Amino acid sequence: MALVDLFVALCFLLGIGGAFFTAFHPNIMYAAISLIMTLVAIAGLYGALGADFLAAAQLIIYVGGILIVILFAVMMSHDIYKDRFMAGAKKYILPASASFVIFAGLAALVGKMDWAGNTVPDFEPTARAMGWALVGPYAVPFQYVVIVLLLGLVGAVVIARPSIKHEDDEGNQ
Amino acid sequence: MEGGGILAGLATNPEAYLLFSLLLFSFGIIATLARKNAIGIFMGVELMLNAAALNFVTFQVLRRGVVANETWLHGHIFSLFVIILAAIEAAVALAIVLRTFGSRQSIDPDRATELRG
Repeated sequence: MALVDLFVALCFLLGIGGAFFTAFHPNIMYAAISLIMTLVAIAGLYGALGADFLAAAQLIIYVGGILIVILFAVMMSHDIYKDRFMAGAKKYILPASASFVIFAGLAALVGKMDWAGNTVPDFEPTARAMGWALVGPYAVPFQYVVIVLLLGLVGAVVIARPSIKHEDDEGNQ
Repeated sequence: MEGGGILAGLATNPEAYLLFSLLLFSFGIIATLARKNAIGIFMGVELMLNAAALNFVTFQVLRRGVVANETWLHGHIFSLFVIILAAIEAAVALAIVLRTFGSRQSIDPDRATELRG
């Protein structure tokens, strides 16, 4: 049990540090790499909670997919290496106070809750049960997600398509 | 589980997970509101989505005797849907970013003001 606790504490530290640098680091390249750190830490926490399928999905989809796309976008835009990315510490005052208000309120809520009846994770493989759930009680939401994914990807391709000069098209501005 | 160092029982303490994801959510809000860069804003949104997904799994696993009785996979499925929708959001958001950068040579959202009345 102690080893799991140590692992979870390490993931907490890694995740909080990564999130801090994601929010505050002036260079967006380092911010993106800190975000990778946070996402890996969250995958570790999924593992510590016994959600093995989600840990793998988090690693594959987030760290392997979304983050690569983010880094790709960062590298495509050469302009953003400049220092004005952070735009002064003054800009952080209002967002930080708003976020602190939300944090304090929700933390008070967490402290007020009655935590009797906690359970411990059972480390059993979840992939099989999740697969059956996705074709059983969750079949309709799953199909919704499939359609949204298809439409989103087609829409992304349409948006990101380079603006070819189409004089005889009605779609040009 | 009581006693034996400050870390004892941390892995099965839902408050720790909730406070952790709350911190992530707060940092995500800060990044979303304060960044002068579309990709920075997008990374803040990713942080907030991840915090919410972690909360689903936390309640599912550590409170399933209280909130989730015999149906023990709902939290996992919701987190999976959050991850999938975040992937879609990443694709669309970064397409918009690339498009904006291509036409304006800048991804500062404060400078995209064509639609302002």
